[in-house]
Amino acid sequence: MKILIVEDEIELLETIVSYLQNEDFICEKASTFFEAEDKIISFNYDIIILDITLPDGSGIDLLKFIKEKSSKTGVLIVSAKDSLDDKLKGLDLGADDYITKPFHLAELNSRVNSLIRRQKFDGNDTIQFNEIEIDPDSKGVTINNKPIELTKKEYNLLLYFITNKDKVLTKESIAEHLWGDNIEMADSFDFIYTHMGNLRKKMKKLGAPNYLQTMYGLGYKFTDS
Amino acid sequence: MKLIQKTSRTYLLLSAIIFILSGVMLFFVLTSVMNNRLDEKLLYNKEVIAKRIKYDYPLTIFDTEELTEAENRAYPNDTLIYKDTLIFHAIEGVEGVEEYEKYRQLTAYETLQGERHKIITRNSLVRNQDFVSIITLSTIIIILLLLTGLLILNTLIAKKIWKPFYMNLDRLKNFSIQDQNIIELEPSNVEEFIELNSSIKNLTQKLQSDFNNLKEFSENASHEMQTPLAIMQSKIELLLQSTDVTKEQSKQLQSIYQAGQRLSKLNKTLLLLAKVENQQFSTKEEISLKELIERQLENYEDFIVNKNLKVTTELSDDNIITNTVLADTLISNLLSNAIKHNIPNGTIEIIHVRDILIFSNTGLPLDQDPENLFSRFKKASTLKDSLGLGLAIVKKICEVNDWQTSYSYEDNTHQISILFRT
Repeated sequence: MKILIVEDEIELLETIVSYLQNEDFICEKASTFFEAEDKIISFNYDIIILDITLPDGSGIDLLKFIKEKSSKTGVLIVSAKDSLDDKLKGLDLGADDYITKPFHLAELNSRVNSLIRRQKFDGNDTIQFNEIEIDPDSKGVTINNKPIELTKKEYNLLLYFITNKDKVLTKESIAEHLWGDNIEMADSFDFIYTHMGNLRKKMKKLGAPNYLQTMYGLGYKFTDS
Repeated sequence: MKLIQKTSRTYLLLSAIIFILSGVMLFFVLTSVMNNRLDEKLLYNKEVIAKRIKYDYPLTIFDTEELTEAENRAYPNDTLIYKDTLIFHAIEGVEGVEEYEKYRQLTAYETLQGERHKIITRNSLVRNQDFVSIITLSTIIIILLLLTGLLILNTLIAKKIWKPFYMNLDRLKNFSIQDQNIIELEPSNVEEFIELNSSIKNLTQKLQSDFNNLKEFSENASHEMQTPLAIMQSKIELLLQSTDVTKEQSKQLQSIYQAGQRLSKLNKTLLLLAKVENQQFSTKEEISLKELIERQLENYEDFIVNKNLKVTTELSDDNIITNTVLADTLISNLLSNAIKHNIPNGTIEIIHVRDILIFSNTGLPLDQDPENLFSRFKKASTLKDSLGLGLAIVKKICEVNDWQTSYSYEDNTHQISILFRT
């Protein structure tokens, strides 16, 4: 899976690359409009993560160019502007998703994964993790081929964890993923705890080991190691 | 009062005063001229009488009066005394015509044929009163003519000269700083209006460019702040992934991370507030409040269940017309406010009927002035995690939409109501 990351902030670029490389993606970097254009002409990418504000041009123009060249490439727009205009313009021009800075790396990864699923298999592929199988299309989950009854929040939580397996996910990132970034509620962390507890119980019932690890009150990690 | 009415009223008042003054003056001048003529005539009559006495012509004398000894001594020869006098005037046998009339009178003392004579000649002054009435009448007629003339003139002027002014006024009223169109003003050939137009043009252009600068500034500020924040956040997240972080270090990382989170939330919220203030959410559409509220209730379900709150809704199908993002933010903030400041096992009541939306929730009394409820960073001291911007945003959204907000507290229930005026 080949990803091009277009971002003018080198530090951020490096961080994104190092997180995604860990997920076994092949990552290419471009920090200017020119560099990005050059790479898009020369190679084919499955996903392009595109910052809208570049020092030597607009990401929107680059988006038009990408879609002209190969409409199959999935484009995830990254913007610091959080302006609805940009968002609508981007989505109108064929961007597949939109994320606002600052974002959680796990969230970015989860968006990239969902893009890949939509793109490669028209959303008809299932996600496998040991005995757990998730069908993103029907939002059904089975453990050891037995269906597990999950609430909407529990399902989202599980999918988020499996997409970011072996990674420490902070409570803040989980809260934002579940309730959106406009939630300004201190007790949302308690609910994560409750949902986690319920999820653990349900999975244990169907014979799955406890993959959920608590990380010093900082967050959680989903791992089989 | 319109300017044109004001000036014409002043003109009219001034001309009325001038006309009255000149009428009075005219009266006195005319009377004095007439008196002079009259006096000449009286003198002439006296001369005629004197001559007749002198040459023993028969004299028709209406009335004779004895010259008193005192008068004889007091007035030497050739004394002429002019005066106005009232004489009782009556026609015998006719009732109702007796009256005093004003006369001009000349009394002369002379020695004629060796004998002292006192000659009195008189002439009626009745026509003076005619003068007064003629002058008054003509003054009134002239003032009336002037009034109608001014009225007609004003309407004509208002139609022609002031027309571009009023058209421009309308355009100014409809002017929005957000419109990037330069304001088009109706040209005029009046120097003041030309100057006004050019001033308005300059002013609006400056306003628009300042507004754009401000907008650019807030956007740039956001970009400049969000990016370092994104770097901070992602670097810490990356650091958290490494296995050789000790528990102590992880605690410190957590503090840094949470502070960064708080900062970025604050930044986002302040930017939202600035954008609402700058009216950058101007695209409006019809929005079903019912759907919106139900969706938000679902999103906040965990928080509602956690506090064991009882939510009752009474939502009509009436739509409102506003910006989607703003409506979403408004409801989300109101709901989160109603949950946050609620008591365990409390209630939330949401009512939307026609153009009124009411959010009521149980809760402890405010520990601050209700006046400050909608101000920025005014928050209940008990909730330290709250930014204190939620209701400030609610207020701003209502302001840019011309909606009215009100707050009341009764029977342990806070109530915030919004009146959508359309």
